[in-house]
Amino acid sequence: MSKLVELVDIVTNFYTYEGTVKALNRVSLTIEHGSSFGLVGESGCGKSVTARSIMRVVQEPGRIEGGSVLVYLDETDETKMIDLMKQSEDYMVDLRGNKISMIFQEPNAALNPIMSVGEQVAESFLFHRKQELCKKVLSELNSPDCKTIYPLRKLLQSIYMAADENPDSFGLKLMSKIPVLKWWRRRMKQEALKQSAEIISKLGIPNPAEVVKLYPHNLSGGMKQRIVIAIALACNPVLLIADEATSNLDVTIQAQILELLRELKQKEISSILLITHDLGVVAETCDRVGVMYAGNLCEVADVKDLFSHPRHPYTRALLDSVPKLSQEGELKSIEGNVPNLVTPPPGCRFHPRCPYRKGICSVELPELRNVGKNHQAACHVLPE
Amino acid sequence: MIANHPRLKELKFTLRRIFGNPLAIIGFSLLLFFIAVAVFAPYIAPPKYEHNPYLMPHKGYSQTPRPPSKQNIFGTTAGQYDIFYGAVWGTRTAFKIGIFVVCIAACIGVILGVISGYYGGIVDELLMRIVDIVFAIPLLVLTMAIVVAFGRGLDKVMIALAMVGWRSYVRVMRSSILTLRELDFVQAARAMGVSNIKIMLRHILPNGIYPVLVMAFMDIGSMVVVAAFMSFVGLGAPKGYADWGQMVALARNYIVGPPDDPLKYWYAIVIPGGCIVLFVLAWNLIGDALRDAFDPKIRRG
Amino acid sequence: MLGVVLFGVSILIFGILMTFSPERRAAAYVSSPQQVKDIPAIVEQFGLDDPFYLQYFRWIKEVFSGNLGWSVVAARPVWDAFWHYFPITLELNLFTSPFIIIFGIWLGTQAGIHRNTFIDHSTRIFAITGWSLPTFLFGLIMLMIFYGYFGIFPPGIISDDLGMFIRENPDRFRQYTHMYTIDGLLNGRLDITLDALKRLFMPVLTQVVVIVALLMRVMRSSMIEEISKEYILTARAKGADKRTIYFKHARKNALIPVVTVAGWLVAFLMEGSIAVEYIFTRQGIGWWLASSAISLDIPVLMGVCLFFGLVYVIANLIIDILYAYIDPRIRLT
Repeated sequence: MSKLVELVDIVTNFYTYEGTVKALNRVSLTIEHGSSFGLVGESGCGKSVTARSIMRVVQEPGRIEGGSVLVYLDETDETKMIDLMKQSEDYMVDLRGNKISMIFQEPNAALNPIMSVGEQVAESFLFHRKQELCKKVLSELNSPDCKTIYPLRKLLQSIYMAADENPDSFGLKLMSKIPVLKWWRRRMKQEALKQSAEIISKLGIPNPAEVVKLYPHNLSGGMKQRIVIAIALACNPVLLIADEATSNLDVTIQAQILELLRELKQKEISSILLITHDLGVVAETCDRVGVMYAGNLCEVADVKDLFSHPRHPYTRALLDSVPKLSQEGELKSIEGNVPNLVTPPPGCRFHPRCPYRKGICSVELPELRNVGKNHQAACHVLPE
Repeated sequence: MIANHPRLKELKFTLRRIFGNPLAIIGFSLLLFFIAVAVFAPYIAPPKYEHNPYLMPHKGYSQTPRPPSKQNIFGTTAGQYDIFYGAVWGTRTAFKIGIFVVCIAACIGVILGVISGYYGGIVDELLMRIVDIVFAIPLLVLTMAIVVAFGRGLDKVMIALAMVGWRSYVRVMRSSILTLRELDFVQAARAMGVSNIKIMLRHILPNGIYPVLVMAFMDIGSMVVVAAFMSFVGLGAPKGYADWGQMVALARNYIVGPPDDPLKYWYAIVIPGGCIVLFVLAWNLIGDALRDAFDPKIRRG
Repeated sequence: MLGVVLFGVSILIFGILMTFSPERRAAAYVSSPQQVKDIPAIVEQFGLDDPFYLQYFRWIKEVFSGNLGWSVVAARPVWDAFWHYFPITLELNLFTSPFIIIFGIWLGTQAGIHRNTFIDHSTRIFAITGWSLPTFLFGLIMLMIFYGYFGIFPPGIISDDLGMFIRENPDRFRQYTHMYTIDGLLNGRLDITLDALKRLFMPVLTQVVVIVALLMRVMRSSMIEEISKEYILTARAKGADKRTIYFKHARKNALIPVVTVAGWLVAFLMEGSIAVEYIFTRQGIGWWLASSAISLDIPVLMGVCLFFGLVYVIANLIIDILYAYIDPRIRLT
């Protein structure tokens, strides 16, 4: 399988009042076309920050200080790659919601409370699919049963033809900004609303034509999350990043949403990056999994391989601490505490808590090395 | 170690937040300056009339103000009142007005707000209606009406302001309480069986008092301004009293001087006016800094 | 609900009035020195000795039939005088309000977006200074500088000559609205409009500076709070550009708490117009109130207080409607 997104040595820092939080300490991972990658770790280990660094939406006071995010949009040609870190903000604005989409943890807060749900989904189309919309409007205007009066129709036709050719032309932009002249966009908006109803229904929401007019506070948590997914999928992205998307939902709703994601992965999206702290979810849904600790990627492997043969000491301790039905006696926990990322331990950040540590562990940061088939781990203690 | 006690740490953090703000430092310096002037007033500007130091001395009765000179450092205003004396003793007046009015208004407001928030129900509804009624008329208008009814004089103005000023504190305190009441730590205390009054005093009041504090600081300035305007129109301090508003009133006819030198009597207005502005500025700067320091959303930015 | 408030306001005002002794109140009905001897008779005649509720109902009855008493300051009935002074105040507020809204919202939004930058800090300093300047003092200083020193922007409402012309030629100059700026245009007399505008400039500027200072700060903190919310992140992840995020998403939501403060702003506007009208000698409601307070013209006080109460109630009604318009969460309830 070919690479879709490759992160190389990402370094992200947060410059806060209490000091510089070194959130990501040279994180590298690869997501392939058509695969579902799970990123797990404790709270605060940097999984969300990684996801946001890919899309360059890291929140203030954070900044991405180094590394590259290589995107291979062409499945067949690996040389055609783009480094997102080197692109302009305009490029990123175009890419977000279009090629790469993200959904978040809290569906209740993720939607604008004073905009109708349909409008919010329609925005995705309006941002990224202007030409398609213009073509649709034009075909409507040109069709014989168009009911608009002749002069108005001519005017609209010429505007939309100009929009079709060059949606970002200065004149059109100007007209979009002046309140009274904005009316020409109305048809585009209606068309976009139609398409949002379509995609909402694809996500299993009943009565899409009605739902489109509702506001977020009229919907339940599960429906809101579906709307958020609809927004993310509107433009058929190649990568969907789900940042703890099911953590705040009821278990039953969570199962529904995960099932939905699985379906969508087969039909609509190419790849998913699923970020979660729930190992069970990863085991069920993902092909590959990466384990993060304190801003570093410790281990990455195929799902079955990681759960049956964990190599990194942290992964092993983590899996050991999950209570099993067959287990008896005390619950196992990992000694020590998660380090303060303002003053992280030198070398391998897990070494103060690691039962296998050696001298070199406190000096040098371990790189990811092959320790099995499609299985890498960053540890000095492991043999090749 | 005592330095690591969480409350102390929080206090140090808050103090750093307040004083890390350059505007707050300016505010505090100004305030300290005014406090010093007020405290040392008898030494800086020795009173002429021992029985009432607030009567400004005046050599003569000539209406035209005289510019700053060796005898009158800031000059004299209409009626030959010494501006410097007025400015110095006016500081005391301003403090008297501001602190008296705000203390009483805040106390009444906090108590009523606590009752309203704590009891809820009919008591709350009734109190809120009353507050609505008192709010319906602007502060200045109500104060004027009360002063007309009770008679002129700075003391009447202060009483009137206190009688009206409590209304904002009730609302602020009440909304604070309503928010805090629903928070988890209060629910937890309730579940543990702590009595309502104890919850109110130990948990809600100390946490909910901050917005009231911020409002109080900024209100001191507002009250002084309203009192100054009342004095300016003649409803407050009597002529010759050391009050900044009164001094501006004295110079009313001399805002614009003779055609060849229109700004001739600037000192009669600018000096007392400047005192008012700086005084209010000091309190506003501190209040603003406090608000930023206490705002939990901006705190950890 | 609002009726209750109005009712309460009227009781409050009347209550303040009743703190006068009957003799003092009788003095309000007196217009010549000889009548001073007749005070007991006046007390008798107007029933100033009767219990509170009787007098109150009598007064309310009068109010509803349009009789608010006699204004000494205006030398005519309060009701008539009110309509004489009201257009002046209306004109002033008509010109100040749009500027306050536009500048307050615009500056506040910019300060919120560019937080902790030069724009934010400079607007903050402007806000604090503007808020610390008492309206009357600011007006006085402006008068000193611009009228005294530069000779432009004189006080008053209209120049003496033009004013005399208007008074003596009611057929050539029709006062449709009694507001000189508008009537000047309607009558084709641009010079009158310009003169009135010239004299409006300083009062409007004084009011605008002080109130924009407050509005701006509220808008700013509201924007800052909205921008940090989760749905803004969703919008960013959708591929919305900065402009859409700030103005389409954040600002609309940020306006909701600002509308709450709008009630305060109306109050400050009214208070400010008292100071401004008094300083710049514009005979509007505010000036009338101040003059009446000085001359103990009690019927005026009561009438104007009622008026302000009414304005407040109406303003709150409008604000509630605005609220429902902006925030769909409130509509169904």
